[in-house]
Amino acid sequence: MNGYTGKLLHVDLSNHKTWVEDLNLDFAREYIGGSGLAARYLDERIDHQTDPLGSENTLIFMTGPLVGTAMPSAGRYSVCALSPLTGIWGEANSGGFFGPELRFSGYDGIFITGKAEKPTWLSIVEGKVQLHDASGLIGCDTYETQRRVRQMLGDERTRVACIGVAGEKLVKTAAVINDHGRAAARTGMGAVMGAKNLKAIAVRGSAAVQLANAAMFRETVKQIAHRLNDDLAAQAMKLAGTAGYVNMGLMYGDMPIRYFQQGEWEPAENLSGVLMVEQYQNRNTACFRCPIACGRETRAPSYQLEKVDGPEYETVAALGSLLMIDNLETVIMANHLCNLYGMDTISVGCTIALACELSERGILSPADTDGMEIRYGDAETLLRLVEKTARREGFGDVLAEGSASLAERFGVPDLAATVKRLEVPMHDPRAFSGMAAIYALSPRGACHMQGDIYGVDTGQGLAPELGILPGERFDSSQEKGRLAALSQAWRSLYNALILCQFQNPGVDLVLQALNAATGWDYTVEELIPIGKRIVTQKRRINLRRGITRKDDSLPKILLQPLEGGTEGNVPNLEEMLTAAYQEFGWDAQSGIPLL
Amino acid sequence: MLKFPSDEWIKELSKQLNESADYERSAKDWEGDFAFIVEPDEAYPQTAYLYLDLFHGKSPSAGILNSVDEKPAKYTLAAPFSAWRKVIEGKLDPIQGMMTRKLKLQGDMMQIMRYPKAAKEIIACCAKIPTDFDGHHS
Repeated sequence: MNGYTGKLLHVDLSNHKTWVEDLNLDFAREYIGGSGLAARYLDERIDHQTDPLGSENTLIFMTGPLVGTAMPSAGRYSVCALSPLTGIWGEANSGGFFGPELRFSGYDGIFITGKAEKPTWLSIVEGKVQLHDASGLIGCDTYETQRRVRQMLGDERTRVACIGVAGEKLVKTAAVINDHGRAAARTGMGAVMGAKNLKAIAVRGSAAVQLANAAMFRETVKQIAHRLNDDLAAQAMKLAGTAGYVNMGLMYGDMPIRYFQQGEWEPAENLSGVLMVEQYQNRNTACFRCPIACGRETRAPSYQLEKVDGPEYETVAALGSLLMIDNLETVIMANHLCNLYGMDTISVGCTIALACELSERGILSPADTDGMEIRYGDAETLLRLVEKTARREGFGDVLAEGSASLAERFGVPDLAATVKRLEVPMHDPRAFSGMAAIYALSPRGACHMQGDIYGVDTGQGLAPELGILPGERFDSSQEKGRLAALSQAWRSLYNALILCQFQNPGVDLVLQALNAATGWDYTVEELIPIGKRIVTQKRRINLRRGITRKDDSLPKILLQPLEGGTEGNVPNLEEMLTAAYQEFGWDAQSGIPLL
Repeated sequence: MLKFPSDEWIKELSKQLNESADYERSAKDWEGDFAFIVEPDEAYPQTAYLYLDLFHGKSPSAGILNSVDEKPAKYTLAAPFSAWRKVIEGKLDPIQGMMTRKLKLQGDMMQIMRYPKAAKEIIACCAKIPTDFDGHHS
């Protein structure tokens, strides 16, 4: 089958049963793969009562038609389920090598249901599926888990996706980690895995992904490689990683400071990705067949770290400027702890920053925090709170429930910087108004990977054929709302292929790659409708889970004007939302899909 | 009114930078001179080379060149006249311009990435210069 293995693996952990289902080709054609295809399948498996941490929730690992091919930067996989953090649609995706290896092992995706009686790990080697006792892995960090699983299978080339202690403890911001420190981080998919008593999945295989038109695919890949030389954003990421954006983010007021409440802070310049390269970087690291290699291997001598996965931009901001920490070594250490325990650095950073804010306002006292004085800019407290969160120790048990829960517990729900209970990532919508609509509309809650107006308005990742062109960054008109919808549709298609959003060779070549891989004859005009279909599918799931238009909103804390790079701008969300609903074909008032 | 591009215009920019506390702060560690290449287009049929030395928050010298080889600079930024006009008038964000290749940058990219605020302050200083774009006043 061209572009797909055509096989989906089902694993029922309650009954230790596994079986194979043929891929539904109609679904594949309409939803492509990744989180798009997973949403279509999950829709049939959950209802408004499904407990995200219950055995009835289905955890889906899904790849897409470009994964494991020679397509540059397409080595990703999605993890999807109902989210225990938000109660609605949850998805995360990760790079590295696990996604391609899953395809080489013979499957497009894995559906995991039920709950194992005792800790279990799953292996898929050359199509052969086995469940193993994971009792000996409980308590192991994610790096040790990967190492031991590879050792048990006797093949160092095995790729492992696993959870750490945070996932075992059902921390609601727990991530799935693969290939050292690559994370499918957002929406607590690690907790869903932990709730199923599944510690790890190991994949290994040698099957090739069949292509409909191999010659055209090869030619497309060649053209993409050529165009990369002209992509300044990609070149910048190659040089300084995603953290190379820090200085630009600070200039625009895009990089949040002091829990989204301060517009400028000069010491944040010390978090520059360029400085990280100069002072703490060992080398670049790349995902499967990625010429950009935005990953970093770093060191932090002050913490006796010689070789650890380095923080990317989101982490530098969430564990740095958001907490008034300007020491890159501390950020490297905190990031490393999150990787070891398996946690989402954005949600963890946001939740700890909220605790700092509550302490500063006198809402939290040491009596609530195991005697700890929690304050901004305190590296030692940050590191202790990361560990306590992962282990659910004392006050960490409160932090492990996420920001929305923390704010509610102390009677100040409006202080949580969340959308649909997911912590806001590190692009301030006051810096790029279109991000307000992206966050409000994103099916998994506040998310910068479901549309990237901060990139578009600075000239990155443009798609002129689809109407995705840069505009004025403070514009919150209906036109910007429509642009946000288009950007969300386009990036949702990316998340289905699955293609890294840093690889932007142009609409023509992405389309050519999809058609050459699958043998389909999609046209440029059909791409945005596919993306819209995917967004709408995820929205239908959320509507069934009780989401309404009032949930398509921004937290009050993000609607206060700030000095600095945002120049006092506050986006007009309502204006943009109405236009975005119309662009998606939803009712302009209720946001309910019309078809 | 100072004509753009001209020796007077780039010298005035140098003067404005030397008087700007915001520029001085944002570029306090910057070391590197620039050659701004104005490429011909429908609105301006010639090529012009403007030289601007920048060092530790100040601009020690500036002037028009006959060619880039006359005074090789660490960085060059090239764009058609109309794109330069948009940047100077604040209608084109220089970062957006570089990302979309309307402005073509050559030089140490890593250093450029550390100083976007300095670039912003340079544009702010450009806006203070009463500029004559060949008959079109800014």
